[in-house]
Amino acid sequence: MPLQVDHIDKFLEEESDSKFKSELLELLRKRIDALCFKECEIDRIQCTLTPLCTRRIFLKLRLLNGLTIEDQPKFCYSVHKNIVFRDFRNKTVIYKPNDAYLYLVDFFDVFFHGDYRKLNKFFTKKEFKAANRIFDDRINNRDEDFQYLLTKDQNFMIFKYEDKIHVCFINENYALCNANRENITNLELLLGLCKLFTIIYFPEVKLKLNHSNCVEITTIIPKDALLKISKTPPTEEDSKNDNYIWNVFPEELDALSQFCKEINLYIDGKENLKIKLNIGVVPEVRMNSSSNTILRYRDLRLIFNIIYRLYNDFYILHV
Amino acid sequence: MTDKDQKNPEITKIKDFIKDERFDDASNIIALYLGDSTQDDYLTRLEDIIELLLSLHGGRIVLRFLIERMIIDIPSLLENLSKRDSVLRYSFLLLLKTLCENECDLFLPHSEDLLNSDDPNVREAILQLIIFMVGGETEIDYEPLINNISFSLADEKEFVVEKGIQALILIGKKHPLWVTKAVTNIAKEHPENLEIKKAVDTVLKSIVTVEKIDELVEEPHSEDELIEREETEIIDKELELKKKEIEIKKKKIELKEKEKELEEKLIVEKEKTLKMKEKILEQEKVSPPVEEIIPKKAKKQLKKEESEIIDKEIELKKKDLEIKKKKLELEMKEREIEEMAIEEKEKALKIKEELIEKESELTQAEVELREKIMKEKEQKMIESEIERAVKEFMVLEDEEKKKDEERETEKN
Repeated sequence: MPLQVDHIDKFLEEESDSKFKSELLELLRKRIDALCFKECEIDRIQCTLTPLCTRRIFLKLRLLNGLTIEDQPKFCYSVHKNIVFRDFRNKTVIYKPNDAYLYLVDFFDVFFHGDYRKLNKFFTKKEFKAANRIFDDRINNRDEDFQYLLTKDQNFMIFKYEDKIHVCFINENYALCNANRENITNLELLLGLCKLFTIIYFPEVKLKLNHSNCVEITTIIPKDALLKISKTPPTEEDSKNDNYIWNVFPEELDALSQFCKEINLYIDGKENLKIKLNIGVVPEVRMNSSSNTILRYRDLRLIFNIIYRLYNDFYILHV
Repeated sequence: MTDKDQKNPEITKIKDFIKDERFDDASNIIALYLGDSTQDDYLTRLEDIIELLLSLHGGRIVLRFLIERMIIDIPSLLENLSKRDSVLRYSFLLLLKTLCENECDLFLPHSEDLLNSDDPNVREAILQLIIFMVGGETEIDYEPLINNISFSLADEKEFVVEKGIQALILIGKKHPLWVTKAVTNIAKEHPENLEIKKAVDTVLKSIVTVEKIDELVEEPHSEDELIEREETEIIDKELELKKKEIEIKKKKIELKEKEKELEEKLIVEKEKTLKMKEKILEQEKVSPPVEEIIPKKAKKQLKKEESEIIDKEIELKKKDLEIKKKKLELEMKEREIEEMAIEEKEKALKIKEELIEKESELTQAEVELREKIMKEKEQKMIESEIERAVKEFMVLEDEEKKKDEERETEKN
């Protein structure tokens, strides 16, 4: 049987002699460099249309490890940036640039082209008020449709364009565009995302940083709405809300339980049904999975969708 | 496509036509849409159209229509695309792939000009199109084009060199001899450039297979063989020219025969007319005036015959003129061929002169070398002679000294 990938993985995990490990890793490093700089980039058509690494993963590898633009294969990176730009402008793209990382200056170049130098300067000097003025000007005077939020400790800036989320990692000097399957690794960022969505979609839902390891989201189903829900399983003629509470809500609670540390449902003093969700960056064990996985942007979107439905159908309509 | 484009009525119309498979109408509207553009927004409009064609099923067919009808001109299109981002450029090139494979006639005429473009993106694009064309059914068997492609190995841009290598490898699989020749010439032109050598190496390595070795071995390598080959080529060309000359002579003879035939016919016709006239005259003399005797029908017939004769004469004159024209044309062709032959001969003579010059240079160099060797030998001989003489002189001196010493001791 030839050497399998699992064997190498096991070797890297179990081998005690670091010399052997480094030999193997050095081999891998050389191979990656050859692939990027010699094999792929030399044929620009290939590099653009069918890059030799899936979704230009080696750009991400270098960027997340603090390597600068000088260390990246330049043409490949320019194509990568271009694809993000084209997708932003709703032009045809070879692949959807989900979870695409860009250096901060390039992120500003793509999304705020005319002001990218200024913004880059303001962000490096942490002059966020000046930066915010540019963003506000674009929203108010240039018909640009986006929302933004600077997190509490000024480590992250979150942008929301329609259903797309982009996150600036200010200290790391890079940005994540079209966040989707990437993990949310920081509680400050998680709170920021919750705040931004709360402001936009459900302003009366309460947010709280709980025990400094999770974010608590509290929403209610008011007493009046509760009383209107039938006490027996709904028939076909019953309202949508009855159907939702009896048939869909349990499933959604089940889904929420995969991503929340804790879910509390109780009747408060005013006889409203309170729903408290505690979300952490490391959620509870996922369904059908034994390992602990970190909360992803798409998971958070699912949580927000459920909250939005509860808020819209049971809170707004009654209150 | 941006939201603006989607709201653009012309774009939506084009989109609808393509969806309804009304490709003719779609291409007509595109022509109008591009025609209405100003210098400033032509590129944006072109990009809109390309974006649209890229995204729609049937876009390729419309694109073919646009190229065939010269609504989109390939050279200017490639130049314009060079100003846009690489994703659009290469996606569009990919859209042209099947068109290149099946209808390379649309692209091949532009290829030599585009290969010499100042813009490296254009050079890269046309090389990619050539790669697509070679991948299709048609063969690129035009030697000057292959030579032109091989120049891309010396391009300043690495990505153009890469495309050149790919194109030459693909062509080389069908025409190894021509590619080998072109590529080796490039290597000879730039003997100190290692990168070109590398590129040539990769091309040659990919072309040479066990099956094709015999074919390549037949290719002469030494200078003498090359000269011989050139000579045989010249001889072949001379033979071809001679054949052409013979053909022309044959045609001349045929033409002369035809002329004779026509002349004979003319003479016969003239004789006939003369006879007719004579008859008429005789009738005039013998019989009372024609107007009185000849019935009206006969008069008419006579007039008809006369007009027919005149028509025939005119036709004959026309034919004469045509024959003269053809003669002139043939003469012109002959002259051209003769000039060509003279040029070829001149070239052959030049090559021979060069060869003779080289040979004379070589002989001179040989003579000089021999003279040098002779001189060196002479010098060596003289030097050895001098050394020997000096040694003998020294020995003699020593002996004399010894003798003097002995004499002195004897005296003492």
